[in-house]
Amino acid sequence: MVEMPKRRDILAIVLIVLPWTLLITVWHQSAITPLLTIRKACHHLVKEIFIIPERLAARRHRLADDGAEGRHETGQGSDSKEYCSSDKDIVEVVRTEYVYTRPPPWSDVLPTIHVVTPTYSRPVQKAELTRLANTFLHVPNLHWILVEDAQRRTPLVSRLLRETGLNYTHLNVETPRNYKLRGDARDPRIPRGTMQRNLALRWLRETFSPNSTQPGIVYFADDDNTYSLELFEEMRSTRKVSVWPVAFVGGLRYESPKVNAAGKVYGWKTVFDPHRPFAIDMAGFAVNLRLILYKPQAYFKLRGVKGGYQESSLLRELVTLNDLEPKAANCTKILVWHTRTEKPVLVNEGKKGFTDPNVEI
Amino acid sequence: MRLRFKLKTVFILYFTVSLLGLIYALMHLGKLHSLQGHTKKEPTKPHLPTIYVITPTYARLVQKAELTRLSQTFLHVPQLHWIVVEDSSQRTDLVSHFLEHSGLVFTHLHIPTPQDRKLQEGDPNWLKPRGVEQRNEGLRWLRENIWAGETAEGVVYFADDDNTYSLQLFEEMRWTQRVSVWPVGLVGGMRYEGPVVEQGRVVRFHTGWRPSRPFPLDMAGFATSLRLVLRNPEARFDGNSPMGFVESSFLQGLVTMEELEPKAEMCTKVLVWHTRTEKPKMKREEALQAQGLGSDSKVEV
Repeated sequence: MVEMPKRRDILAIVLIVLPWTLLITVWHQSAITPLLTIRKACHHLVKEIFIIPERLAARRHRLADDGAEGRHETGQGSDSKEYCSSDKDIVEVVRTEYVYTRPPPWSDVLPTIHVVTPTYSRPVQKAELTRLANTFLHVPNLHWILVEDAQRRTPLVSRLLRETGLNYTHLNVETPRNYKLRGDARDPRIPRGTMQRNLALRWLRETFSPNSTQPGIVYFADDDNTYSLELFEEMRSTRKVSVWPVAFVGGLRYESPKVNAAGKVYGWKTVFDPHRPFAIDMAGFAVNLRLILYKPQAYFKLRGVKGGYQESSLLRELVTLNDLEPKAANCTKILVWHTRTEKPVLVNEGKKGFTDPNVEI
Repeated sequence: MRLRFKLKTVFILYFTVSLLGLIYALMHLGKLHSLQGHTKKEPTKPHLPTIYVITPTYARLVQKAELTRLSQTFLHVPQLHWIVVEDSSQRTDLVSHFLEHSGLVFTHLHIPTPQDRKLQEGDPNWLKPRGVEQRNEGLRWLRENIWAGETAEGVVYFADDDNTYSLQLFEEMRWTQRVSVWPVGLVGGMRYEGPVVEQGRVVRFHTGWRPSRPFPLDMAGFATSLRLVLRNPEARFDGNSPMGFVESSFLQGLVTMEELEPKAEMCTKVLVWHTRTEKPKMKREEALQAQGLGSDSKVEV
């Protein structure tokens, strides 16, 4: 007789408490789902990244007040990254707040990505650099090395760089003009951007010592391509040279390194001269800064380079095929597109120019 | 006995109520986690007015790249709601997955352009106006889904997927009362095209082509307040209007030139550029595909 009521009581208590515990758990979970995916080992790194300034904290409060609506709004502009220096793998965490801090706060543990961009004056230059900056403003620890093909650093670029708030270095070197040709043509024997990229390499070698502890990655990003944010996180773990597919090059949907079952690059999936030492586009590889510093003689060859062999001229001084690290899910995902911007038709400007030249475009 | 009976009823009642409450809460949460991004009712925003960006898009090689870099710009803009309208009879996987992972607040719509209005292979791109049905569909969605209350605060902007937008532009347009305007770079065959402002008012338009149009503006050169859009349900883009008059067909009923609000430092700064992306050369790809050796179509480009 005593047993029965006891069991019943327990059952009753359980059934009473159950719905409330479920409710509380579910609410709790949905509120902290963004943080749940962070692995414990990387907790100390998370603190580095989630430094949220006051106004953001205030915004967070407002979202919490909105309750249900707030949930929907955190979907906006979400992108937070998390890094474990222990195993070099990047874990992508969804949801962020710091998108409104441009650029993200600098971290002492993340390898810096030095992005080398050669650029030259033409009508679309400011537009290209603007949207490139909008991309880079999402990437933590990015250092933009912008090298102008010009005799002097132009005010347009100087102002643009300053206003973005990015960490940058502004260089310039002019590709010698071939005065023998009619007009203001540059020396056609030197592929475009070569001198500028080489200047950046030289600057890096002069600025950083091989013994420096801050790790870095060097990436050559032309100003008209399109880069996904995921790409930068893939390249951050480069030990020597990492490679990945690039869309819209070589007359194909994409060109890609060939990766075998062991995860090693053994060839190139291209139609245009696949027997080049490195049949890859400039946007398809990144080099560890240490490697650049250890091999101070490695530069892009200036003259006598056959079309498509520019990248090989640098890479063959740095690595062998065997050392290449395939990224982007073993080179099966497209994370960068070799887009090209049309030259705008300015017919209505006429000879003297119709628009106010003081208005910067 | 009687006491126990009462307790039992109370308990059953309590259990049922709790269960119902729990189910309701779960459903409510489930709705929030829905990735469709549809907003049935836009709650009153006491802070920043929302910028509703309507982007028509269509499948082609560079689509994913264009949307990617566009989203990278939009991610910096607070209170932005992206309305992507595909020129398609159904939502494509590419755009659906892309939007889900973009991190933006979005609405994914689709409407196909009728065949006779579509550009054929080899047609110059100015022959037929593009994106008309898609923009109208975006307007329709806004009118049906956004609560037109007194506090309907927002602005509607038509952003094509290949243009380039500076972040400052969005802050310029955010407080539009009726229709605000600004210059657009690299359009109309000129370095830039835009309104001419004298004493704080738009007096005429600086354009190289047909300046007699009611509103010789580019699609990217103006933004309309949400209130105006909702209060004028007949205002839409006319696909049959002559070349260059599409923008006018929308703005004509909504506002007069005197009412236009000039932005971008009295229309002296260019904050948006009408860039166009080249069609990538696919000669080798086509040659390979003819041999049956085309690149892996499973790899999304």
